[in-house]
Amino acid sequence: MIDFKNVTKIYGGEVKAVDDITMSVNEGEFVILLGPSGCGKTTLLRMVNQLETITDGEINVNGQNVKEMDKIKMRRNIGYVIQSNGLFPNMTIEKNTMIVPDLLGWDRKKKRDRFNYLMDLIGLNPDEYRKRYPHELSGGQQQRIGVARAMASDPPVMLMDEPFGALDPIIREKVQDEFLTIQKEVKKTILFVSHDIDEAVKMGDKISLLRQGQIMQYASPTEMLHRPKNDFVSEFIGKDRVLRSMSLYTVNDLVEALGLKSKEEDIQDTKEITIDTSLRVALSMLLNKEADELLITDDQGEAHGSLTFDLIETFINREVRGA
Amino acid sequence: MIDFFNYVQNDWDNIFAYTMEHLQLVSLAIVIAILIGVPLGIYLTTNKYLAETVLQVASIILTIPSIALFGIMIPILSIINQGIGFLPALIALVLYSQLPIIRNTYTAIQNVDPNIRDAAKGIGMTTFQRLTRVEIPNGMPLIMAGIRTATVLNIGIGAIAAFIGSGGLGVLINSGISRGNSNMVLAGAVFVSLLALVADFILKFIQKRVTSPGVK
Repeated sequence: MIDFKNVTKIYGGEVKAVDDITMSVNEGEFVILLGPSGCGKTTLLRMVNQLETITDGEINVNGQNVKEMDKIKMRRNIGYVIQSNGLFPNMTIEKNTMIVPDLLGWDRKKKRDRFNYLMDLIGLNPDEYRKRYPHELSGGQQQRIGVARAMASDPPVMLMDEPFGALDPIIREKVQDEFLTIQKEVKKTILFVSHDIDEAVKMGDKISLLRQGQIMQYASPTEMLHRPKNDFVSEFIGKDRVLRSMSLYTVNDLVEALGLKSKEEDIQDTKEITIDTSLRVALSMLLNKEADELLITDDQGEAHGSLTFDLIETFINREVRGA
Repeated sequence: MIDFFNYVQNDWDNIFAYTMEHLQLVSLAIVIAILIGVPLGIYLTTNKYLAETVLQVASIILTIPSIALFGIMIPILSIINQGIGFLPALIALVLYSQLPIIRNTYTAIQNVDPNIRDAAKGIGMTTFQRLTRVEIPNGMPLIMAGIRTATVLNIGIGAIAAFIGSGGLGVLINSGISRGNSNMVLAGAVFVSLLALVADFILKFIQKRVTSPGVK
């Protein structure tokens, strides 16, 4: 869907912001551009919708070279979300959300229907917010509107530049979850800039880790956490990468991998944990000494055995270290 | 004090006529000044070097004493037989209004949050759409503030233009001084002030109407 071929960006004749990058993003894939500040991730993103010029190489979106496309037309067909939401203060929420359909000349009825649909999708009441202005909304709500605006004309591709970076941790987490749910439904091809490894691991199908304009590793989160390609990658993802990778698995993965069976005996001093909890949370609960064992239950409340440190260790040895 | 009110009452027709004359001169000057200043201010945001030069020139014009400016224009406009009267006064007022209008428009457009501008670009707005849908609406309070400053300024300077025969409330002040009639001078001054207050109030109302409630 998005193909980068030897893409290079040089500022002022000498500074290489993006250095010979080749990678492709498949249709429906959620790819994170990750890296420290100044690594060229935002520049790379902004080259796709031509907010930055391409010094060398080419970018193809849907098989078409972006340089040959009409800038205005192609931008209207690519969703764009930025960190500070970029909502227009002078427009109501409805006007803001429907700005691209407006530019595309949709009729009133179609716009209204689309607005109602999008607001439902992001979990805000359409009638309550229709006539309000951006400054009347909280940061989290504004960011949701920013996402809705980017999806307004149902573009196949979305570019997101640290969209949740300005939110406080609790709200960020919530908006991330919501967005993942939305993505499951809409299946967009997404290029998403982040500097936060946790966010990248949580959101991405694939992560492209950049440094000084070059790709250090382009792989799935599991692959990157378990098999970092070089020192920079392992340093960037941190010494706690094993712990971090735990958030990629749910208790269910462990149950299936180890063929855990429900035990009949009564266990004392236990706490229940649902089967779709991430292993990272499960591990933290054990570390917190909330209980010595965690009783795993599914949606129907049926028990699936109990979780202990030993089991997690076995799982790590099998899955993560590939033993 | 009673003398003054008596004077106003007796001479009401004259005072009213002068006020209207004054209003005519200032309104026409402001309309022309907006038509020149706002587009120029917007254009200057695309050319920083030119912007500095133009703003400097506009500042210099504002420092020229009005009497001097009228004096300079007499020989120039005499070429077309308009050395004194309405035309030189109009030109002077348009020139004086340029600084507040150009500078405020320029600053208003420059100060639009770069993130908003970036979003507008990234969403696929043309330069013109960005200007009319985002930049001008968000800069409206500042642009209107410039127009209000220029208007009040012009109403004041318009009184001095009576020296070159443009009419208006300045005539009352002028002839009041030469005849030693303090009531006449006072009436001129009071009505100039009232005119300024009313004009500013009306413009404030217009500003509210043309500014989106989302823009503070």
